[in-house]
Amino acid sequence: MSEARLGLPHLGLGVGLRTPHLPYIRRHRPDVGFFEIISENFLDTRGGRRHALAEIAERYPVVLHGVSLSIGSTDPLDFGYLRRLKRLADEVRAPWVSDHVCWTGVLGVHTHDLLPLPFTEETLDHVVRRVRVVQDVLERRLVLENPSSYVEFRASTLAEWEFLGRMAEEADCGLLLDVNNVHVSAFNHDFDPVRYLRELPHERVVQMHLAGHTHYGTHIVDTHDAPVSEPVWELYRLATELTGGVSTLLERDDKLPPFPELLAELDRARERAAAAPTGGSRG
Amino acid sequence: MADATSLAAVQRWMQSLILHPTGEDPGHTITPSSRLSARERLFVHQQGYRLRLLECMRTLHPGSVHLLGQEIFDGFAQDHLDAHPSRSPTLAGLSTGFAGHLARTRPDSGPGAEREAWIDLLIDLIRFERAFTEVLDAPGTEDGTAPAPPLRLLRVCAPVHAYLAAVHRGEEPDPPAQRPVHLAVSRRHFTVVTRELSPGAYARLHVSSSHPPTSPAAPASED
Repeated sequence: MSEARLGLPHLGLGVGLRTPHLPYIRRHRPDVGFFEIISENFLDTRGGRRHALAEIAERYPVVLHGVSLSIGSTDPLDFGYLRRLKRLADEVRAPWVSDHVCWTGVLGVHTHDLLPLPFTEETLDHVVRRVRVVQDVLERRLVLENPSSYVEFRASTLAEWEFLGRMAEEADCGLLLDVNNVHVSAFNHDFDPVRYLRELPHERVVQMHLAGHTHYGTHIVDTHDAPVSEPVWELYRLATELTGGVSTLLERDDKLPPFPELLAELDRARERAAAAPTGGSRG
Repeated sequence: MADATSLAAVQRWMQSLILHPTGEDPGHTITPSSRLSARERLFVHQQGYRLRLLECMRTLHPGSVHLLGQEIFDGFAQDHLDAHPSRSPTLAGLSTGFAGHLARTRPDSGPGAEREAWIDLLIDLIRFERAFTEVLDAPGTEDGTAPAPPLRLLRVCAPVHAYLAAVHRGEEPDPPAQRPVHLAVSRRHFTVVTRELSPGAYARLHVSSSHPPTSPAAPASED
């Protein structure tokens, strides 16, 4: 582990921690740089899953990845949720907490869907204000991910990459670059994914995500149920070159293969990163 | 939509269409892509919302899915979700109130309708599955997060615990025959343990327990 940007450590190559893999991980202690958990899957449990997490956090770095922060919602921030999130982050000594540039509900409702934001100056001001508050409460860096999206708004006046870059600079937060989501949204919204990657503030990217998707011909859905596709591997190689290599995580949420298959896919990520001109991601 | 430029208005409008789809053309706020209309693009979110939460409900209630078949279970689950959209940032409690909702809206509750036993069985199975999930995730003695193991007491109309256990083992059990059953659901070494009690033992445990027992399927059920 070594220091990288924004004072956050470079954790190498990691895998999303999923419950069916817990027995394998506890038994075999695989060679993985770090694990990432879906925060909300552990907030409400004090059962065996939380116990297993504590055990794994003794041996591996663990970062938190949330889906319910709803940083773009016009509902007030949920400070009860933030306090529970901080407690969990403290327990596993998470170097950072991540979530998505999105909203998940208003009027007290949680849709549990990562809903897109109109990219406007109003939205930018709103999100930046809330990121600062969240970072103060969590007492650690918030890292925000570009979500995959399926609609765009007539009201938008900023490109997505422009919004992300200004948000990260003005709120002084990190970016989680989901390379698969760039590919998905580029197809869905007819933009150039290479331009997207080149326009981001690379020094703000502290983590990358790799995942699979489902192509429906007219649109792509970020399903996390398949191996990483070749176009995404190509974008990953470019993203590694542009960022200099950062902590990178393989996500799989559905049709989970045996853990060794994920390790093999992690090896592919290692090879792709090493092939990038910068020398790639360590771990 | 009153003010298409306000973030709050956009979010209220979009959420309303996701939770309760209508025939409205969203083209005034959402752009088309080169391949999909605004309506088709919004449908991706409408469908994604519905499928994600139904998948979660199925995961929380595998026995009920087996009892009813997925299509019928989904109908009941969707009705619950429509009436009670999630208000929690986590999904663990998504089916809290599911049994109570079903008890209040049971299909045999119309005037002159005859009470159907399978609905009592379904409600009690859902109650047991909720108790199972809550005990699984509750603080406990294993790592010192509670002074005593979690405990739920239930009176149910059939051995729903044996039915769910068979489903967990991958078997294809027939619906259980109905008889009064008294259950204590607890946890040991992070594993949920269910014991069938005699009525007397149930009553004694009820008195000594700080947890009030849950009642059998009835409109007044607290769940």
